[in-house]
Amino acid sequence: MSTLLTQTLCKSFGSLAVTQEVTLSFQSGMRYAIIGPNGAGKTTFFNLLAGNLQPDSGQILLDGRDITSLDVTSRARIGIARSFQRNNLFAEMTVHDNIAMACAIQDNVAPVFWRPMRGFSSVHKKAELIAQQVGLEDDRQTAVRHLSYGSQRQLEVALALACKPKVLLLDEPTSGMSPQETARMDHLIKALPRELTVIVIEHDMDIVLEFADQIVVLDYGRVLVQGTPAEIKNSAIVRQRYLGEEGVAVGSQAAERPAP
Amino acid sequence: MVMTRNSLRLSIGVAAAILALIMQLSAGTFAQELFAEAAILAVFALSLDLLARSGLVSFGHAGFLGLGAYTFGGLAVLQNWPPSLAIAAALAGGIISGLIIGCFAVRTSGAFFIMVTLAVAEMFFSWVFRSPLFNGADGMGGVPRLDMRSVGLDLNNPRNFATFCILICICVWMFAEYIIITPFGRTLDAIRQNANRVSAVGGRVFSYRLAAFALSGAIGALSGALKAQHTNFLSPDLATWVVSGDVLIAVVIGGMGTFVGGIIGSGLLVYLKEVLSSNFGHWYLFLGGIFIGVALILPRGIVGSVLDWRDRRHARNNPAPAREDEA
Ligand SMILES: Nc1ncnc2c1ncn2[C@@H]1O[C@H](COP(=O)(O)OP(=O)(O)O)[C@@H](O)[C@H]1O
Ligand SMILES: [Mg+2]
Repeated sequence: MSTLLTQTLCKSFGSLAVTQEVTLSFQSGMRYAIIGPNGAGKTTFFNLLAGNLQPDSGQILLDGRDITSLDVTSRARIGIARSFQRNNLFAEMTVHDNIAMACAIQDNVAPVFWRPMRGFSSVHKKAELIAQQVGLEDDRQTAVRHLSYGSQRQLEVALALACKPKVLLLDEPTSGMSPQETARMDHLIKALPRELTVIVIEHDMDIVLEFADQIVVLDYGRVLVQGTPAEIKNSAIVRQRYLGEEGVAVGSQAAERPAP
Repeated sequence: MVMTRNSLRLSIGVAAAILALIMQLSAGTFAQELFAEAAILAVFALSLDLLARSGLVSFGHAGFLGLGAYTFGGLAVLQNWPPSLAIAAALAGGIISGLIIGCFAVRTSGAFFIMVTLAVAEMFFSWVFRSPLFNGADGMGGVPRLDMRSVGLDLNNPRNFATFCILICICVWMFAEYIIITPFGRTLDAIRQNANRVSAVGGRVFSYRLAAFALSGAIGALSGALKAQHTNFLSPDLATWVVSGDVLIAVVIGGMGTFVGGIIGSGLLVYLKEVLSSNFGHWYLFLGGIFIGVALILPRGIVGSVLDWRDRRHARNNPAPAREDEA
């Protein structure tokens, strides 16, 4: 059970303020969605949470502990795992080897140089379960480069899950996916274990409204509004900015999805 | 017969090892020097290639070779250490210097790593070049060979020494092959393919690369200790960038990351050097031309290209569910 907090987090690239005084609290076991137009600073916010970037000011706390100065590796080790907006895999390995690698690192098996990898049955067992969880059980022996784009997105999530996370950050898990693949990912995300805190960046408003307990709208690096799906749907400012003045089709955000 | 990419690679290695031993045992006295030289270069190539598995390409590997040679020769000649102990000291020297240099070198990668390793090797070179302890630029003779008469092998016999070097090379090769199937070795592969993702799943890229660098340093130092025994001589030339360049050429021509490629590349390099230098004046020019040719025709090196060819054939014969065997 863990709570992730950010306090007046700020990050600028040169004169471009990409994260501006973001103070948010992510309660354990809850589902959060971060939405906002491209360039709003959503990925940058994830980079700050996961330690890929250092904030210019502000703090990040996990269960009350200040983790701002920890690097990516240390944060992954204390339970903050992420997937990437652009597939970021071990390209020459099979699906199984990708997941098993992540499991071996998490289980501190990776430094072993005196016994072959194939002997670590617990690692392989875990990798099999995760492949099953993300729906890649039939592709376990497929090399990443022979995998369809959608399956690569699933593997992206699998690698994050292999980190035994407390807080799972998913950066546009359905981006570029076909409708069927999106449905599968939607299912996967909804089936994630309840004890996990999940934060997704997602453009598909149908998924977001159904999945999230809380929605955070980022705009030019600032938190524009935050609230339950119902509150967000009825928020005047969100309707005006994102859903069009009339507030019609909720799914109109789909226009922002990058082409597959 | 269906051979996976990996079993084809291993088969090439076994075939090369058997062929090398048969050729060496049936060759004349003069050729023995070439077999020893090639086997020692192959050990050195394995050291470079093992490091390359972690995505780091060194251009100062002669530093480790020189360090191993001088540690071995210095202790054996000046301190009268038994050669077996001096070899152990050379290995330890390789590990320790690898850990120290690695502490700053492996924080970089790509061109910066090339520059740092080159700079450190040149520092070592200029130190031994001036050092009165080892006769500076003149070098130092009288380096003994390992005493294996207790097992009936007189290594001062060139034929025995060549066999010995080939056997050492085979052992180092098997060691390297074993390392890469362990979790540690698989992690090095993962780091080469995507170091950022290794960090993101909680792996300390620095530690793994440091360990690989130290291991590579130990094997490089071993090749240096063999080299000093082969020539019975210590020379600063052992640590020049030309030596670093030669081993890099051997690995690239053979196929980086394949291990057996570096071994075959070493044999080829030694053979071509011998043939060309005894027939032509500007033989390095010819050598360069040949290697540029090979690099253009086979960009992934000889063994790398053979393995890629196998993959393409396999994909052609087995369309649809493109299954993969381990790399
Ligand atoms: N490393 C970086 N250096 C400079 N600018 C960056 C960097 N990363 C992101 N940006 C800029 O910050 C802004 C926000 O980017 P990002 O966080 O990726 O937005 P989002 O994920 O919401 O689409 C963009 O204008 C982008 O160009
Ligand atoms: Mg983004």
